[in-house]
Amino acid sequence: MKAIILAAGGDSLPPFTSTRPKPMVHLSGHYLLESAIEYLRAAGVIDLVLVVGHRKERIVSYFGNGSEFGVRISYVSQEEDLGIGNALLQAESRINPGEYFLLVYGDVVTTGNIYLETIQGFNSFRAPVAAICLTPESETFGNVYLDNEMRITRLVEKPMKGGLGNYVLAGVFILPHGFFKTLKGAGADMGKALDDLIQKNGLHSSIWEQDWIDVRTPWDILRANRMVMDTWHQAIVSDTAQLKGWIHINGPVHIEEGVKILSGTVIEGPCYLGEGSFVGNNVLIRPYTCIGPHSMIGYGVELKNCVLFSDARVGRLSFIGDSVVGEGVHFGSGTVTVNVNLDGTDVKAAIGGEDVETGMDKVGSFIGDDSLIGAGNTLLAGTVIHNSSIIPHHGTVSREV
Amino acid sequence: MCGISGVVGQKPVATALFQCIRNLEYRGYDSCGVALINNGGIEVRKNVGTVDEVNALERLTEISGEIGIAHTRWATHGNVSRKNTHPHTSASGNIAVVHNGIIANYRALREQLHGKGYTFHSETDTEVIPHLIEDIMAGGLNLEDAFRRAIRELEGSFAIAVLAFSERDRILCAKKESPLILGIGDSRNFVGSDFNAFIDFTRHAIVLDDGEMAVVTRDGFTVKDFLTGRTIRKSVMEIQWDAEMSKRGGYPHYMLKEIYEQPRTVKNALDLDRKELRRLAQTIDSKKRTYLIGTGTTYYVSLSGQYLFSRYAARFLPVVSSDEFRGLAQSDADTFVLAVSQSGETYDTLSALRYAKDRNAASAAIVNVVGSSIARMVDQVILQGVGPEICVLSTKAAISQILILCLTALELGEFTGHLTSAEVNALRKEIGWLPALLEAILNERSGFIHGIAHRRMSRKNWLYLGRGIYYAIAMESALKMKEVTYLHAEGMPAGFLKHGTISLIDDQMASMIFVPPPRTGELYSLSLSSAEEIKARGGHVLGVHTEGDKEAAEICDESIALPSGPDVVNPFLHLLVGQLFAYFTATGLKRNIDRPRSLAKSVTVA
Repeated sequence: MKAIILAAGGDSLPPFTSTRPKPMVHLSGHYLLESAIEYLRAAGVIDLVLVVGHRKERIVSYFGNGSEFGVRISYVSQEEDLGIGNALLQAESRINPGEYFLLVYGDVVTTGNIYLETIQGFNSFRAPVAAICLTPESETFGNVYLDNEMRITRLVEKPMKGGLGNYVLAGVFILPHGFFKTLKGAGADMGKALDDLIQKNGLHSSIWEQDWIDVRTPWDILRANRMVMDTWHQAIVSDTAQLKGWIHINGPVHIEEGVKILSGTVIEGPCYLGEGSFVGNNVLIRPYTCIGPHSMIGYGVELKNCVLFSDARVGRLSFIGDSVVGEGVHFGSGTVTVNVNLDGTDVKAAIGGEDVETGMDKVGSFIGDDSLIGAGNTLLAGTVIHNSSIIPHHGTVSREV
Repeated sequence: MCGISGVVGQKPVATALFQCIRNLEYRGYDSCGVALINNGGIEVRKNVGTVDEVNALERLTEISGEIGIAHTRWATHGNVSRKNTHPHTSASGNIAVVHNGIIANYRALREQLHGKGYTFHSETDTEVIPHLIEDIMAGGLNLEDAFRRAIRELEGSFAIAVLAFSERDRILCAKKESPLILGIGDSRNFVGSDFNAFIDFTRHAIVLDDGEMAVVTRDGFTVKDFLTGRTIRKSVMEIQWDAEMSKRGGYPHYMLKEIYEQPRTVKNALDLDRKELRRLAQTIDSKKRTYLIGTGTTYYVSLSGQYLFSRYAARFLPVVSSDEFRGLAQSDADTFVLAVSQSGETYDTLSALRYAKDRNAASAAIVNVVGSSIARMVDQVILQGVGPEICVLSTKAAISQILILCLTALELGEFTGHLTSAEVNALRKEIGWLPALLEAILNERSGFIHGIAHRRMSRKNWLYLGRGIYYAIAMESALKMKEVTYLHAEGMPAGFLKHGTISLIDDQMASMIFVPPPRTGELYSLSLSSAEEIKARGGHVLGVHTEGDKEAAEICDESIALPSGPDVVNPFLHLLVGQLFAYFTATGLKRNIDRPRSLAKSVTVA
């Protein structure tokens, strides 16, 4: 079976998607798309059609023809962000009439092989299948109505009243080639096309019971990172890593090739230290920290529940917590990301000129690629810094920059 | 639902054939049999029981032969007996047939064949098929042509596999509306009701479509349209998944599958023959004493029944846990024992029934498995007809049992004049709304229940409270929670709490309270006061109450609000919440849901 992976989409996750498509967001040591491709390969799906658009060069240059990843990748382009239905239609010519294909949304994170399970469901039903799941977040509740044979009878995107909530579509489908026709008939509206499919051909469900997140907000990156790291049970330390002097490592910590760690550092897992990174003396790395490749962490830094994409430089005596940091960000020494409000209320993040509720009481900052943060800055909770910003020394930053 | 299978190879196939029907046992397991061709002709061995039991009796794996067919049966109507068990053979013994489905025109065919002098040995519709083929072959046709002509005469649904001694290198099979699949192996080929039949032997399969027949030999197969006789090209597909998953019909666990089957289960119970329930009610009325007995879930089912008989028939029927029956119940010729058992094999219930029977008591049972020991032992059997329940935890069987007790209580109420016929009809009509209300909870609230369960799953201790019939629901829900999550859950009447157990309450203690609708008056207000007692001591209260009940929502720390149904259906809605809450807590804790540690589906030991 071929898979179509929707990896286009626009700048929907600021500040990180102005320079990359969402599937190239990094967490727990992988790009989102990389994890999906790995699961697909394990499920025996090796012919992949990637629908790319916004910042597609990032995907093409990283994955190429897929040979390094054990799959065969071909690309189609969605020139304009005209929605999911339109993206899927771009791939029509790549699927043979009469064939079923696996449709994958590129921004879904799971803690297990959802594709394999969905294929197994398809093998039982030999009919169109949608993976469905339950989410802990009430704002993403939907209502997928099922009959007792797991056929979907109705889709309601948002339940009408509180206290209701049920399965939601998990962004993984197995559909027949004929769905393209249905989709065109529905004016490329995915929701409407699925409704038509339910009415005319029927759509079975495959219930996904493990964890699942679709990454919609910057703080979802932290949630997804934590979700994946919670499934780690083993410490994995590359034999090319250099651990010098007294270093304390506890719990499932993944340390990649060529990482160098100096004496006095304490690492509490689960944590990830990417290839070629450097960690100086007396650094404290607390749970759910993901340090992307080729980063440098200076003397006496504290990191906690944060994702650093790659090539970060964190100057001495800084604290980065509950934050997501893009590629190539430099923090001057003594930078602090404040992660709580003084009155203990949930943190609001400043996105697109609005204060958006995060629903969490501890949230730090979200910092776009290649930004330079001067020494001695205090970034207040919920700060968003867009890419390539330069923040002068010794300031207090709040809201959006 | 039944399962059929066939194997043709170069070496003896008995062991493989046995494995095939064993893999299909989830489709039914009340009787089974095999037919193999060896030197003497077609050898048929069959009997009543599970596949393992029949093998122990009949030594199915020790038959010689390189070609064979097999069947495992799940009777929904009619009796389970050796003579009704498949395979069925023709008069000369040349032909053997296994069949899944229903031959709609079998009476006409039977009469016609009877007129030609064929003798029928079973009460099944299937038996017409071997005779019909034999009759056509007597006209000079070969097996394949005769088979094709015979199936064209059949109406209804079928998946059939046929063996003939005269052409002993092939299995013939055909499909219409019932499932049938071919398995293509290296040195042997297979026929099965689904992939599971032969998943241990090959992963290459051909799915037959309606109107197709196949001739399967050890070297190959041909598929034809059985109407036109034209050969059809079929592609071989590779199966790549685990067998368990597909048996579950795609559900992650049997427990969830069976929970989702409950709306249909309720409809089945409502379709039960009222005369049978009336007869049961009359026996209750005619005896001085009636005991309701069960153990585990069926004890709580009986406990629910106790409230229903009290309410709808003004009768107090004592409930006794089966294992305590001997030491407690008085039993004589004026005693009636009504037992509840899903499997019909529960040791404690069987021995209680034996004890009562030895003392001349009359007995009846509500049982799901046709032909089980309890079903055979009692004077009257009410068969639940909810289909096999595979998960060790009882869900759909339990809800159907409570409903059957409820419907019996209505019959008794009407019979004794406590209720008018109009009242009974109105109540039955209200019960008719239950499937839709269950579906509304499954389809609109399970995500919400899942969310609470996952947030609260670190709580190690739970109290389950209710008053009136909700006490029985609380007990059953607590049992579900214990069974599947291994957490401590204790059920009790809400009023009982303050007489001791309340000393356990602190901020670590979680509780679930089942609150009836406000219109139930005292039952409602007393339930809420129990919730307040817990709150006052710092405990956490999760309330299951009616939508729009602001008072309950305010008192409880968290609420699961249910659509408001008539009084007679509300307890069932609460029971569903109890099931879902236990299920989702167990998924969060990653428990072995369908086979919790230390538990077995039917407890057949003392």
